Amino acid sequence: MAAATAFHEGFVSELVGRPAFVQRGGGRELVGKVADFVVGGPDAPFPAIDAVLLKTREGKMLVPLASVASIGDDGTFVLSEPPSTPAPPDDETLYLVEDLFDKQIIDVDGRKVVRINDIEITRAGGALRVVAADIGVSGLLRRLGVGRLAPSIVQRVPRTLIAWDNVAPIADMNPSEIRLSVSQGRLSRLHPSDLADIVEELNRTDAARMVSSLDDEDAADTFEHLDVETQRELIESIGTERAADIIEEMDSDDAADLLSELPQERQEELLAQMDSQTAEDLRELAAYAEGTAGSLMTTEYVWIYPHRTVAATIAKIREIAPETEFIYYLYVTDQTRKLLGTLSLRTLLLSPPDAAIHAIMDPEIVSVTPETSAEDVASTIARYDLLACPVLDAGGSMEGIVTVDDAIDAILPDRLKKQLPRFTRHGSARRSIAV
Amino acid sequence: MQQLDGEHAAPEIAARRTAARRGIRRSLLLFFSIVGPGIITANADNDVGGIQIYSIAGAQFGHTMLWLLIPITIALIVTQEMCARMGAVTGKGLADLIRENFGVKVTAIVLLLFVLADLGNTAAEFAGIAYASPVFQQYLPVLTKYLIVPLVAVFVFTMVTRGNYKVVERVFFAFCVVYLSYVASGIMVHPPWGQILTALVIPHFTPTQAYVLAAIGVIGTTISPWMQFYIQSAVVEKGVTIKDYAYSRVDVITGAIVTDVIAFFIIVACAATIFVHNQHLTPGQHALTVSTAGDVATALQPLAGRYASLLFALGLLNAAIFTASILPLSTAYYVCEAFGFESGVQRRFAEAPVFYALYAGLIAIGGGIVLLASDAVENAIIFYSQVINGVLLPLVLVLMLLLINRPRIMGRYTNNIVFNVVAWATVIVVGVLTVISTAQTVFAGGG
Repeated sequence: MAAATAFHEGFVSELVGRPAFVQRGGGRELVGKVADFVVGGPDAPFPAIDAVLLKTREGKMLVPLASVASIGDDGTFVLSEPPSTPAPPDDETLYLVEDLFDKQIIDVDGRKVVRINDIEITRAGGALRVVAADIGVSGLLRRLGVGRLAPSIVQRVPRTLIAWDNVAPIADMNPSEIRLSVSQGRLSRLHPSDLADIVEELNRTDAARMVSSLDDEDAADTFEHLDVETQRELIESIGTERAADIIEEMDSDDAADLLSELPQERQEELLAQMDSQTAEDLRELAAYAEGTAGSLMTTEYVWIYPHRTVAATIAKIREIAPETEFIYYLYVTDQTRKLLGTLSLRTLLLSPPDAAIHAIMDPEIVSVTPETSAEDVASTIARYDLLACPVLDAGGSMEGIVTVDDAIDAILPDRLKKQLPRFTRHGSARRSIAV
Repeated sequence: MQQLDGEHAAPEIAARRTAARRGIRRSLLLFFSIVGPGIITANADNDVGGIQIYSIAGAQFGHTMLWLLIPITIALIVTQEMCARMGAVTGKGLADLIRENFGVKVTAIVLLLFVLADLGNTAAEFAGIAYASPVFQQYLPVLTKYLIVPLVAVFVFTMVTRGNYKVVERVFFAFCVVYLSYVASGIMVHPPWGQILTALVIPHFTPTQAYVLAAIGVIGTTISPWMQFYIQSAVVEKGVTIKDYAYSRVDVITGAIVTDVIAFFIIVACAATIFVHNQHLTPGQHALTVSTAGDVATALQPLAGRYASLLFALGLLNAAIFTASILPLSTAYYVCEAFGFESGVQRRFAEAPVFYALYAGLIAIGGGIVLLASDAVENAIIFYSQVINGVLLPLVLVLMLLLINRPRIMGRYTNNIVFNVVAWATVIVVGVLTVISTAQTVFAGGG
């Protein structure tokens, strides 16, 4: 690529349709037109272009970039040898125009689903690399040919580019099984509630593929932020075994809510795939009526016998904390799980290490029953300034706890949730009107 | 649960009464959760333009056009079913599929025509309100078009941008029920049922230009481009999967039949009154000429009583509000989704400026034309939008057929041979007829 006025950077749409010549003797001969580009290693942050697809009189031919002698700054290609390889079928390689133009991708930085209008490529270190996706109006105008008719208009429109390392293609970009593992790494940078927003923007198939590409824990976190309807659709699309794995990772109250929305036989299929303890907990939770403490509560809480010491308890918490969401209150129970008192993490930390739990616990118990309404649970929590409220059966035994955030979610009107700023919004972000 | 000590409490076997009851309720509700798109879309199809054409057909040609309704219903089912199926299989809207498979240029052409046609269509809906207002003024003189049109525009905009989807869908369903007022009008005029049934099943053809043109109008108004987009998006938005698709198909078929039953009653009502009146003129009586749906509402009054007339006008108002609610909105959605602009009523204006500009613009311009422009300008705009519709429809139908036959998109749910024959025949007949009718209107309108 020795030409003085060599191509340095530009857009794929400007190169498509440009003539390609082959050097022959002293002159050059037209062999075809540029039609597309093949990307090697699509997982790289800025993937390199491996080959050019030419439309020739003999059909579509693939030219490795090594045989491209030069690319002029007007986009004219000069080849060192005539093309000899016919183009491979589309589902074996990733083409820029065929597979990426006009398709939806996830903008990891902007946290939304966008459509690729054009792709910017640049020469760096001897290779042609994909550097950005153009998602803006200037890309549209360029594609419509306005750039050639009235270049000044296109130049005046501000460009909206996403650096390619912020682009997470949705897995079905290409119908083949080219796995774009890059998506997973990039997507896991997003907060679960943003991932949930993106899932809701995608169509069902793409959403299922995206969730499948996440690990169980990320997928479960994302699920917790989705509305029930979307959860249900996804569960149906991602296969029983994987769905069960994800549900197992979810908070038990969210998992139970989801299960109770599924048909009976589907519930059983999913529960059968889970470990028996989790399955039993979920069965119990799913049986509670909507809008009661039972349906809001989680069975994941920390409980402790009264005769333990503070030091032993702290050590144990350190061990189990990564597994447990809510560790701010400890529930002191006897062997039958009857609640004797509660203990805050604060009190625990401020007490002498050799003190016994029963000596420092608060024996005044504020609790609700599984049948208590969500409103009453919320007002109890508000009245006593709690972070969570224990749910006791008739005999005073622990069934679970309702945490303050779940209580708020349950009583906050849907309308208000929608008005919350985007970055704090939980769950029901359904597009609010169908067309 | 996390325990700090080693013991495990024996898990209690849960009572599953509630869950079991929910399961049964759910399967019953499944059908009702999936129906909707087909019925709503098909009813929106009986918009002001549709009502006008059906009533003129009945008033001018009596029962001789009824037989057309059966082939039209089949064509309607065929086209709507394809879009519903594409929505269920791909989870994508028609504008999305066109963009992803035919590129920016085709999409830009289709959507430009689409916006222009829908601008005229929206104006036509507001014109329908203006047509209906003289009937209401007899009851409440304050109900002029200058009051009702802005009220409706504000109502439509507010309901859609402030209401939530469930409420809006219920309101839409209520609109569909109001269409039954046409059935009531049709029955109140005591038509000759024996003759009507014969006319419905036995094809009749009058080789006059007026008859052919009216027939083309009836066919053209029933299958419109934006409905194809609308039903597909509605199916996607409902989350219908191919597994539950059987219910959707029932929904589409029901919707198409309901639509044409209403068309049937409009034709019958006008045939039994205006057409019969014109056939048996006594000396001194004038023949009633009807050129708008408003003329029909007024003409029904002396012939069929004030309640039949009021019901007809109510139906017209209902159709206008209904279509004015979803047509500008869906137009704004498709344009934004295909070109990647932010869209959705849950976003603020600053977040989705193109979306709101299109949506509010269509309503404001559509309503403004009816209130402010002269009749000549108004008619010209509605007329040219019909021409654009005529160009757009065959284009959209062909794109649909290309898409639905691509295994890459539809997997094993492409059209089978029989379906393709019926579908292509429908496309060709509808396409040729629309081209003829468009050409006719262009020459007639230009002259």
